[in-house]
This record gives sequence, structure tokens and C-alpha cells, in this order.
Amino acid sequence: MTDERGRPYYVQNIPVPETPRPRQNPAAWKKTDVVGKRLPRVDAYERLSGSAVYPSDTSLPDMLYGAILRCPHANAKVLSVDARDAERMPGVRAVIMQNTPGANVEWSYGRGYKTKLFDPHCRHEGEEVAAVAAETPYQAWDAAKAIKVKYETLPFLSDEQEALEPGAPAVHESGNRSGDVQVYQRGNIERGFADADVVLEQNYRTESELHTPMELHGCVAKWDGNRLTVWESTQGVYAVQARIAEVLSLPMANVRVIGHYMGGGFGSKLQAGKYTIIAALLAKMTARPVKLFLTREETYLCVGNRPPTNMKLKAGVKKDGTLTALELTVLGSGGAYPAGGASGVDWVVRDLYTCPNVRTSLTDVYTNAGPARACRAPGHPQGAWALEQMMDALAESIHMDPVELRLKNIPTYSQAREGNPPYTTTGLRECLEEGAKVFGWEESRKRTADANVADRLGHIRRGVGMASAMWAAGGGGPPSTVIVKLFSDGSVNLNMGASDIGTGTKTVMAMVVSEELGVPLDKIQIEHADTGTTQFATPSGGSKTVPTESPAVRAAVLEVKKQLFELASKDLKADATDLDVKGDEVIMKSDPSKKIKIGNLSDFRRRGVILGVGYRGPNPDKKVVNPFAAQFCEVEVNTRTGEVKLLRFVATNDSGRVMNRLTYDNQVFGGITWGIGLAMTEARLLDKTQTGKMVNRNWHDYKIPTALDMPMKIESHPVDLDDTEANTTGAKGLGEPVTIPTAAAIANAVYNAIKIRITSTPINPMTLSRLISRSRKEG
Amino acid sequence: MGKKKDERDRSRQGVTRRGFLQLMGASAVASTAARGTAAETPAEVLEPAEMTRIALRINGRRHRVVVEPRWSLLFVLREKLGLTGTKVGCERGECGACTVLVDGQPRYACLTLAVEAEGKEITTLEGLMKGEELGPVQQAFLEHDAFQCGYCTPGQIMAVEGLLRHNPDPSADEIRKGVSGNLCRCGTYEHIFKAARRAVELRNTKGGA
Amino acid sequence: MTMPNFSYVRPKSLKEALQQLSSKGARIHAGGTDLLGCLHDDVFQVKKVVSLSHLDELRGVRQTKDGGLRIGALTPLVEVVNSEPIKEHYPALAQAASEVASPQLRNQGTLGGNICQKPRCWYYRGEFHCLRKGGSKCFAENGENHYHCIFGSGHVCYIVHPSDTAPALMAHEASVRIAGPKGTKLVPLEAFYVLPSSNVEKETTLEPNEILTEILLPPPPKSGLRSGYRKVRARNSWDFALAGVAFALQFKADRIEKARVVLSGAAPIPWRSKPVEDALVAKRLNAGTVERASEAVVKNAEPLEHNGYKIPLFRGLLEEELTRIATTFGT
Repeated sequence: MTDERGRPYYVQNIPVPETPRPRQNPAAWKKTDVVGKRLPRVDAYERLSGSAVYPSDTSLPDMLYGAILRCPHANAKVLSVDARDAERMPGVRAVIMQNTPGANVEWSYGRGYKTKLFDPHCRHEGEEVAAVAAETPYQAWDAAKAIKVKYETLPFLSDEQEALEPGAPAVHESGNRSGDVQVYQRGNIERGFADADVVLEQNYRTESELHTPMELHGCVAKWDGNRLTVWESTQGVYAVQARIAEVLSLPMANVRVIGHYMGGGFGSKLQAGKYTIIAALLAKMTARPVKLFLTREETYLCVGNRPPTNMKLKAGVKKDGTLTALELTVLGSGGAYPAGGASGVDWVVRDLYTCPNVRTSLTDVYTNAGPARACRAPGHPQGAWALEQMMDALAESIHMDPVELRLKNIPTYSQAREGNPPYTTTGLRECLEEGAKVFGWEESRKRTADANVADRLGHIRRGVGMASAMWAAGGGGPPSTVIVKLFSDGSVNLNMGASDIGTGTKTVMAMVVSEELGVPLDKIQIEHADTGTTQFATPSGGSKTVPTESPAVRAAVLEVKKQLFELASKDLKADATDLDVKGDEVIMKSDPSKKIKIGNLSDFRRRGVILGVGYRGPNPDKKVVNPFAAQFCEVEVNTRTGEVKLLRFVATNDSGRVMNRLTYDNQVFGGITWGIGLAMTEARLLDKTQTGKMVNRNWHDYKIPTALDMPMKIESHPVDLDDTEANTTGAKGLGEPVTIPTAAAIANAVYNAIKIRITSTPINPMTLSRLISRSRKEG
Repeated sequence: MGKKKDERDRSRQGVTRRGFLQLMGASAVASTAARGTAAETPAEVLEPAEMTRIALRINGRRHRVVVEPRWSLLFVLREKLGLTGTKVGCERGECGACTVLVDGQPRYACLTLAVEAEGKEITTLEGLMKGEELGPVQQAFLEHDAFQCGYCTPGQIMAVEGLLRHNPDPSADEIRKGVSGNLCRCGTYEHIFKAARRAVELRNTKGGA
Repeated sequence: MTMPNFSYVRPKSLKEALQQLSSKGARIHAGGTDLLGCLHDDVFQVKKVVSLSHLDELRGVRQTKDGGLRIGALTPLVEVVNSEPIKEHYPALAQAASEVASPQLRNQGTLGGNICQKPRCWYYRGEFHCLRKGGSKCFAENGENHYHCIFGSGHVCYIVHPSDTAPALMAHEASVRIAGPKGTKLVPLEAFYVLPSSNVEKETTLEPNEILTEILLPPPPKSGLRSGYRKVRARNSWDFALAGVAFALQFKADRIEKARVVLSGAAPIPWRSKPVEDALVAKRLNAGTVERASEAVVKNAEPLEHNGYKIPLFRGLLEEELTRIATTFGT
């Protein structure tokens, strides 16, 4: 019907029950019954029983298996591809390469840099050249190996430190610079150093890290006519959907991406891979589903890495501990294509400590190696490796306790953002003080120093170290849409787009629903991570999922409650504000004898369900929501062998409200494990002088921490500051701040033990035995 | 690599005539009788391109599968028998995601040829269930949140199960060593240690595995 | 999934196994852990896999008539770790076996397989057609030689032998029995290994048609034996040695009467360090001896560009182990 102005009803702003309306921020919970408790995960049964079907577990009738042939050279042109033998091999159903009709699609990297899916110029070991689909993966690999490729190998560049030298091989025709040098400055850096009582300068380096999540990268692709369904191990189904639609020129509605469970990503699965497109093309060509999961060896080459990072840090401090100047120069490599090789490294230098004069410069260069991808707190562990060791050195130079030096320089606002917006909360002080107390920082320093001096443990030296951190994001934000559906018996369906990458997203969101509606967790059904059936969410990563999704979930539930109480107030003849919902009943707070079952509400039957849509509203204006952290550790160094034993770790985090203490602590311990990897075991190595190929291309030689590399004791002590401004649940991100200070804390502890500063990762018997022996000779 | 046409046709058919004879029970390699005795019919050579029927005992059930000699137990479990509880991480024995019990001992299914698994009792994650209920080790993992993404978890559980079958009351050190062949990239080790401790208690109260 | 095709046979007797091995391209499957890894990496080609898993006579730890020990080559490492006689009389072997790889691999891998395993050099295992695989170049010599050898390369090939149990066995003066088409022979373990300068494509004298059937240990001394194995590595599980030492020191009163010191992570073969043994024999294990012996371990070492850390590391390792023995032995 039209109104008097002739406008149709759907533009007249007539509210229908399911129409989302702008929400007013509900106040943060004061006391909670569910949120914050130690509760087991809602999908624990599925994961522990083996009934959870991960994307790599997916099996469809008539399914084929895919294998990708990759360029074995660091830099080469593909001259010819001959698959005639391969095509005839047992079980082979399709072979595709660059000139296969339909396969010559575009693939873009950062800054819009475009290549082809099977690009004739392979700029890193592992670039895709051809692909096979066969009845078994064994047969697919037999055939892939039988494809004859002629390459013209070209000079290659492996060492980013040589990229800008004259005569360095050019990774791209335009040269080896990837983008412009990024410079940041505030204040007057020269005056800052002039004002200092002590000025120190040091070079630092962190090696390239690989994500290596437990589940391999890959997908299963299936067509139904011109509709494509993809089951992919991904952190973001919508991101994958968008990319597929773009590359294959499909309407998004014809692309459905499903990613219910997934075996880890850490930033390497925030986007579709070439394997996604290749699987789709093979499936189309064979008219059968195709399962294409990479081998572990392939994942080291082509699904991202943390860039190798070279840093020079110059710092000035006054005798009273005031920082006067910080100057950071960074050289990193995002690999063979634009991929942020130095991004984020300088953030902690810019913003963690109060400093009026700061200058940073980030140079990203190309190398003939796999392109980088965001890797758990991009840039930050590297920047912290430098900054936190420098803070320790500064503290030593002015005879100040390292914790005290940090406490002297804590900002309450973001210095690096325009307008200096304040933090909604900053718990850095509390993290440091609480951590120091729980750890026994002062007593431990004295105890270990005394023991070392007295040679009480023989050739074993003990040391303690600490580091603090912040993460530049972690506040979350729009967009996100969540739908909550209330059934007549009070049980609930929660529909959201976010992936649960292992952080416990599903559980936390269910707890939010349970908190507001009183419905037990086992009566909440969760649909998620399916572009065909669930609402929109951005990829789960960046420590933004809980702060983004939990307010949206809460908003959806409050919308449900609002409608529920509107219905119930009629039946109970009560004011909506006097009502509460518990399980399958609505009760009058002032007279609990007056209640009604949800299913009996007179208007409920007309609807069938009550639907609430929640949107993630914007973050508070002119404020910054960031998490903070501090970690303390004690180590034992064997001065004969250079072996380092991690005795204990204490981690404190300000990530806002603890949503689930069990999964929270698990994240903390996980972040520390990652940091141990950066500090002590992980390094991607290239055959720099001969072939440019990766030499440690297996999970023995690319070393990630095992159970026996863990500290003997670790503790997590959250600092819960009751942030009422950040968002309506008060939560900040956690997954990344937990790994930012770890490596530096270990390095500082090792220094404390043996007075040798390790400025390059990894710290292990290879590096230490040499340094210790050298210092013995000199000492 | 080229094959004669008739060989190719035969391999496309799947089970060959020779394989068919084996199905009929003629001195099948699947039989584990007569070990080590001399002067017998020599063992059958399984040809690469032919499929051979073998019998595998998994979680107490007998499965007949047709395999190539090179197929791993892991591949057969996941892609042929639909037992996807056991996960694939590296296929080189460097991560532990594929840990199963072979005659009660933790081993990597990726480095075990399916043909080698004949005659052995294989236990996978699914085999630890008590009907639809979680077994004690699984229950302990639930209570202590001993998983994050969950992908290494089946292997961890099997390693703990294998440890506890041989050593029902391990020390903290023995627990760590027991799962030292299982990587966890999410870094859940600390909770896994606690869960293993709890599993000891649950196994005792429930009267053992 | 990158596993090439092969035929497979599981012989029921040693004789049958030897017959099967006589065909070209046949290889032994003992535990299978290294075989499958090598096939996965295309290190060599195999036409026929000959599985020894039915040969029970090749398994087990038994005492020999002379009071020594006989360990079947197919004995899983976990049995070596848990064997009471080995723990008591040949502790270096028990310790070495307990630190191999991971629990699952110790359940599956065999002692014979551990001794005969292929090198872990990442060029050898990678897509590099190196000397050892019949190619014309050693990529480690001027390449990423972080984990390569400081002794015994002959300037030909720079692998380190990856076995932990072999040095321990050598310290305990083990021999191996090898069965071939012409019968069996007993070979001291020291003579079993091949230096690159003799033959760059073999690590042991084992021919493709031979089977290592058992490892024999001589009767242990009645008293005064101190033996052990220690390796230093980057991670505390799975990792091969950055530097390792197996030692068997026979004390008479407070003097070392006989010393066998064998290094892992040092050379293409388990490396007996004669300089260390010479520095120890007839001496008391005091601070001076420890220092001299620790210096001696790196005598004539030839470090490469990236493995110079092995010099201070081996020194420190010897110093620590010898000091530990001296302290516990009460010298």
C-alpha cells in the first residue's frame, strides 16, 4: 500500500518484527553468571570424538584428487609444458596448465599487482605451473611428476639485505623495491638524542617464520551446473567467496564457501589460495568434485610467511628513565610479490612507550621467495624483539630496574594516531605490576644474580627477563551481522559468519547468548562460517573476532529479548522492564509466580520463532581500543653447550573482559609457544648462494616447539580492567598480544644469565655456544 | 612410463584377475599363518599396478579393502574407510597428527603401509568412544580444554591413550615425553599435560580403558 | 602422497628374503620409517619392497653363550630402551635409543634400521641431484652447511651420520652379522661404515642383496665401566644431534684403563675420537684430564662456513660429560 505521498510501504519506515533497528549501547555486564567462567567448549564433543568434519576430511561421491606441479626454481620462465604422458597415466582425468581454456585467469597480489594463475614467469620456488586431477592422490602425483616442463632459469635474489645493492638480480623489471619507503616521524629526533643522557644503538634480526598450521591448506570443490560449492580450510569464508567470484567471474550468489571446522591458520588462511581456483577449474573440467589439499612441503613455499626482518634501533634516555628519542630503521622482504614485507614492525616503537621524538622508516624489498602473509601479530614480535631488548639495555645503562623503566613511560593515549586519541583502557601498568608481583621479579633477580656470582650451579647460569607489548588493533569493529533465533521451547539457534579457528569463538558467542537469555549452552545450536546460510563476518584474525562478534551477538539477543518481552507484557499484563527470561519461560521479576512458557505466548504461534538481528556498531569515536601485555620468564643457560632451558613463564594480559577463562588461558599458553618458536627454533632457510631453494623444507628441519620445549611452569594472570567504553561486552582481542613479548622476554632472560645479548633469532646451542666461547676468550 | 595397452586396461578395471584369485582365498598374503616356517609356498609378490584385497582389523571390526602396496594406512583409514578422526599433517612422521595405536602402541599411520598393517589390531580415535560417549582420555581433554583448533588433538589423545595403557600412572616427565611425538601449532601443550593427568584419574574410576 | 609405485613382498624366511633381494631395485622394509621417508623425498627409486616384518627370528634381545648380548636387527628401538640387560650393562645404548626421534618412531623403527639409516642432509633429501645420489656436485660444501660435518669429509661429501645408537654401539664394541647370498659374516661395527672418500654413494658396506640380521655386544666388564650417551640438539624431541657423544670408559681403580669415545653429529660415519681416547687412557679423570680431553675432541676439525659452532659445542659437551662422570665417580 502506498502512503499519502505515494511512496510504497517498503520505504515508509514501517517496522516489521525482523527489521533491524539502530541499537543503543547496552551497558556492559557488571556481574555475570556465564561469561567469564571456565567452561568447556560447545563443540568439544565433535572435535574429541572425531565426528567433526574438517575441510580436509570432506569426502564426496565420485570425488577426484588434485595435485599441483610447481616450479622448482627460485626464478624461472616456463618455456613449455608437455602433459601428453601425464594425461595418459592411470586414473588421470584432467590436466590443466596456462593455455588450458578457462585456466588463464588473473591472480592479484597486494597493491593490485596482477599475475596469471599459471604465470609463465615463476618468481619463487613453488609457483604453480600445472595441475592434475586423478582417482587417487597417488595417481595425481605420479602424473604431476610426469609432466615435462622446460624452464629458463634466471638469476635469483635470496637475501633481502642484498636487494638494494648495485648488481643485485632484479626480481621485477621495476627493480627490487616493493612500494615506497614508509616514514613516520614526530617531534625532533636530533634534539631528542641531544637531550638524552645515554644513547644506544643496536642492530637486530628475526628470521622468517612459517605459519605451518596443523591442517594443510586446500579445499574440496564441487559444481552443480554453474553453482560452485567449496569446503575450504579457511579463516574467512566470505573472503574466499569474494575472491573466487572475482577470479572466475561468477555471481557471488553462485559461490558457496563452507568452513565449519578448520585446523589453524594464524594468518595464512585469511584469503583464498590459487589451489582454490585450481580445484574449481579441475572440478569443472571433470564434472566431478575435486579434493585438492597441499602437501606439507608445498605449504612452506607458497602460502605465506612472517618476513625476515632486519632492524636498527637507536634510543635515547635520560638518567631518570624518561625516553627522549627512538629511531627505527627496518628492512624486510615480503617475498616475490607485494605483500607487506615490513608492515607493522615499527608500531610498538611508535606507540608502546611515551616518547616525544620518534622516527621510523620501513623498507620493503622483493626477493625470489614465497610471498608473505599476515602472521600472528604482523610486525609486532619483530619490533618487540628489538625494542624490548633495547629497553633492557637502556635500563642497565642508567642502573634502573627494567620494569621500573617501562613503568616510567606508559602513555594513556595513542601518540601515533592523529589527534592523540586516548585508550578506552590501558592496562600496561597493571600488567607490569601484577606480573612482577606474581613472578617475584625483584627477589628472582637477586636470587639468580647471587647464584651466578657464587657459581652455585656450576656451569649453569640462571636469568630472568621480561618484556611488554601492545597490539595495534584488537578493538574489532563493523561489519558483522548475527541472527539469533528463539524456538518456542526456549532453545536457540545462533547464526553467524565468523570462523572458529581454534580460539573458541563458538563457545564465547554461545556464552553471550546464554548470559542474556539464561539458556544453557547445550541448548544452543550454532550455524557458522557458511556463505550460503550464515550471516556476514570478516575473516577471523587480527585478534578482532571476539570484540567484533560478541557485541553483535549481544545485540541480536537483546533484540530477541525486546520482542519477547513485548509479547509477554501483553499476556502477563506487566511492564516490559519487569520481565526476565529463564530457559523456556518469561517471568515477572516483581512477582515470580506470574510466568508464561514462551511457546504459549499468544502472538508467538503467529511467528513460529522470534528472530533478532544484531549488527556490530561502530567503535567509540576518537578513542582507541588496544590490548596490552607483559611476560616474565626465568631461564637456565648451560654455558658449556649453549642449551637454554625455560623454567617458568608468567603472562599478564589486558584484553578487557575475560569471556571464558579456560579458553583465555589456552590462548596465552599458545601465544607463548609461538614466541618460543620465534626465539629459539624457527627459521626458514634458503640456499642463498647456489639455487635459492628452501633447504629446510620439512617439519624436522623447520622446527616448531614440541612438548619437551615448553617451560616447566607457565601461568596466565589476566588483568581485567572493566572497559565500559570499548564495546558492549568489554572484550578486547587476545590471540596476538599473547605472542608479541615472548621472544624478547627470553632474550632478556638469557642476557641476564650470561651477559651476552643475542640480537638475532634463533637462540639455540648453535648461536650460543659460539658466542659464549668467544666471550670467554675475550673475558 | 608408458604401459602396454592391455596392462592399462586391466589396471583401470581395478581388481585384476590375479587379485580375484586372491579374493577366493588362494594363499592370500593377508593370511598371517605359518610365520617363519621354512619350505612353504613362497610369499606372493604384490605388483604395483594391481589392487590387492587385504583385511584390516580396526577398532575391533574387520574391514576388507582393496589397496595398492604403496597406500599408507592413513590414506586407507581416511579416504577409503571414512575414519577421518585420524588426521593428516605431514606424511613423513614429523608431526604426529596421524597417530594411531597398532597392537596398543602409538605409531604414525602415515609411515605405515596398509599392507603392513594386516594382522594387527589398529585403534583410532573413533575406537576410544564408548558408544556415543567420550572415553576417559577424550573426557579429560574436554575438561581441561586440551585443544584449540582440534586438528592435532586426535593424535595427542592416541598418544596419551597409548602411554596410559603401558604406564597407567606416569610422572609429569613421562607425560611430556609421551606426547613429545605430537606437534601442536596452537600451543595447547600445557593443557594437554593437565588433561593427561586427569585421564589417569578417569581411567581409574571407570575401571580402566 | 608423493609415493612412487612399487611391488611388495613379505617373505616368510630369511632365505626367501635374500632371494627376493637379489632382484635389481629391491630394498628392505624393516620398520619402514626411513624407507618411506626416502621414497617420499625421491632419494632413491625402488622396484620392490621386501618386508622383513614376518621374520620373528630377527627380533629380540638375548644373551649369548659368552655372556654378551645379541639384539635382532628388527628389534624395535622401544624394546632396546626398555631392555633390562641393555640398561644395566650397555647404558650408552639404552640412553641413545631413548632419545631417537619420537615415541611413535621408537615403537616402529628398528635398531638395524637406525644403524643403516640414510643421511638427513637437506640437499640429499631435497630436490638436489647431489654426489651421493649419483650427481656431480656437493651442495653443502659451499652452501647452507649448518648441520654438516667437521671430520671425515675427505673434501668430498659433508654429511653427518644421523644415528644415535651407532655411536653408542661402537663405544660398546659391537659387531653386526650380515647375511648374504653366500652366507653370513660378522663385521665389527667400526668396519661397517664407509667414508665418502671410499665411496660417496654408500654409508655402510651393506650390499643391496644383503641383510643385517643382528647386532652383537661383547660381554660387559664385571665392574668399573662408565658409559653413556648425550646429544645436544636445537629442540628436545625428534631432532638429530648437533653434537653428540657416546662413551665407554673402563676404570681400574681411579684410572681409565680403556676408553672408547664416539661422536655423532660430527662426521659422515660415527666418529671414534682417538685424540680424546688418547688423552684419557691411563689417566685419572681430574680437571686437567677433562680439559685436555675436551680440547682434543676438536683436534684437526675442519669447520665449514656455517658449522663452526660445533667446535665450542663439542668441547663444551665433552667437558660437561667428563666432568659429570668424574663427579659421580668420586674422582
